[in-house]
Amino acid sequence: MSKVVDARGLVCPQPVVRTREALGSADEIEVLVDNKTARENVSRFASNKGCAVRVEKESGFYRLIITGRAETGEQTREPGEETRNVIILSSELMGPDEELGRVLMRTFLNTMCESESFPWRLVLFNRGVLLALEGEDTAEALANLACLGVDVLVCGTCLDYFKVKECLAAGRVSNMYEIVETMLMATNSATI
Amino acid sequence: MLRLLPLDESREEILVGLETPDDAGIFLLDHKLGLVQTVDFFTPIVDDPFRFGQIASANALSDIYAMGGTPLTAMNIVCFPCTLGMDMLAKILQGGLEKIREAGATLLGGHTVDDEEPKYGLAVTGRVDPDKILKSLGAVPGDLLVLTKPLGTGILSTALKGDFIAEADMDAAVAGMAELNRDASRSALAAGARACTDVTGFGLAGHIMNMLPEHGLACRVYPERLPLYPRTREMADQGMLPAGAFKNRDFLTGSMAFGNKIETFYMDILFDPQTSGGLLIALAPDALDAFYKELGRSEQPEVIGEFFESSARLIEVVK
Repeated sequence: MSKVVDARGLVCPQPVVRTREALGSADEIEVLVDNKTARENVSRFASNKGCAVRVEKESGFYRLIITGRAETGEQTREPGEETRNVIILSSELMGPDEELGRVLMRTFLNTMCESESFPWRLVLFNRGVLLALEGEDTAEALANLACLGVDVLVCGTCLDYFKVKECLAAGRVSNMYEIVETMLMATNSATI
Repeated sequence: MLRLLPLDESREEILVGLETPDDAGIFLLDHKLGLVQTVDFFTPIVDDPFRFGQIASANALSDIYAMGGTPLTAMNIVCFPCTLGMDMLAKILQGGLEKIREAGATLLGGHTVDDEEPKYGLAVTGRVDPDKILKSLGAVPGDLLVLTKPLGTGILSTALKGDFIAEADMDAAVAGMAELNRDASRSALAAGARACTDVTGFGLAGHIMNMLPEHGLACRVYPERLPLYPRTREMADQGMLPAGAFKNRDFLTGSMAFGNKIETFYMDILFDPQTSGGLLIALAPDALDAFYKELGRSEQPEVIGEFFESSARLIEVVK
């Protein structure tokens, strides 16, 4: 049974201060935080201490499971050379049939959330950006992947084209410069 | 927010108003004299009341300097709980007054209200030569970008709140925040700077963005050249980023282009909100020597980037 630090409702730097106290007396702790700032700061602190961090999204908060002195840190924006897998989503459908394609895409993203290892980045462009909009259940899966350390890039030009920039619910707005960089840096990539 | 107001900006005396992302407003009194006005106040970022007063005062005065003006008069703005004792308030005001005097300005008065958390700052009025106004916009492709103070005050003050560092560890940053941007402003004017603004709450990236017009110009920043206060990097790695850094990042991320292998730390420091930061000055390459000569510091501020022509308005961060 690991020690639980409930840092919900606290603003930075308090969640990090509590995490530091707890890590002093336990090897495995769980930290509950309810905002993105605390999630990133606590992850950064623990990774820097050589701990492994796993993030689980609960309803209304994040559960950060921190285990001491593990070999692998949190998956971050700068992983090792061999792990830069990129998945490109250029459509909201998986395959040509519309009805089947919608179901498959939803399952694909949900399954990815459950998988053992995660891609470095997901790149959404053209109609693929529609997956990340408010109200889509795929947006929830994408937000989960983002919490798990996957960098979800959403093409800003495409959001503007479809006039949906305000509705973006998952991932971060990106640009062609970064998309090109991502593809050039990728060790493996798959286009859906 | 200002869009909700029935503003009348049509008066021809308004040289700098609300439409541009400038640091202070300018009202033309006659063809040779412009009035520069600004106001800024905030909660303590260090425990020492005198030093907080100095910082808040230097921060408010900075907006006048960022426009190329000279401060003339200041009014105190104070929120203070009577439970904290008048000694502390006196020290805050003394710190503030010291900086007003250093700026060559005069304190004319002020106003205090009872409030749970202390806040202090100034409303400042200055004068400016209408032909020598420094604005945020005005850089052209090829111009160099100079930053006159180190970065890291948001990260360090968060670390101070969390007791990760002691106030003494922040000495360099406190001295930096309390420093007037007067000499930097004068040197920028003397060297014929094309644009200028100061770095505050939107962080380095946010204020560089204010120097870019809607179309045609972008800025390239060299992260390893960014000047930093001591311990900033260590504290960022320890998770001491203020919430404002993440807000700035979310707001700007679509306009940022990070090159290959830029470390996470540099993505953080670009968005760290600054208190009483330095001036960002756009200079033609052949004006740099004149600027350095005017400023005459033993350690001259670094050229941290350059402007270039680009259809997209963005900040490129490359090694």
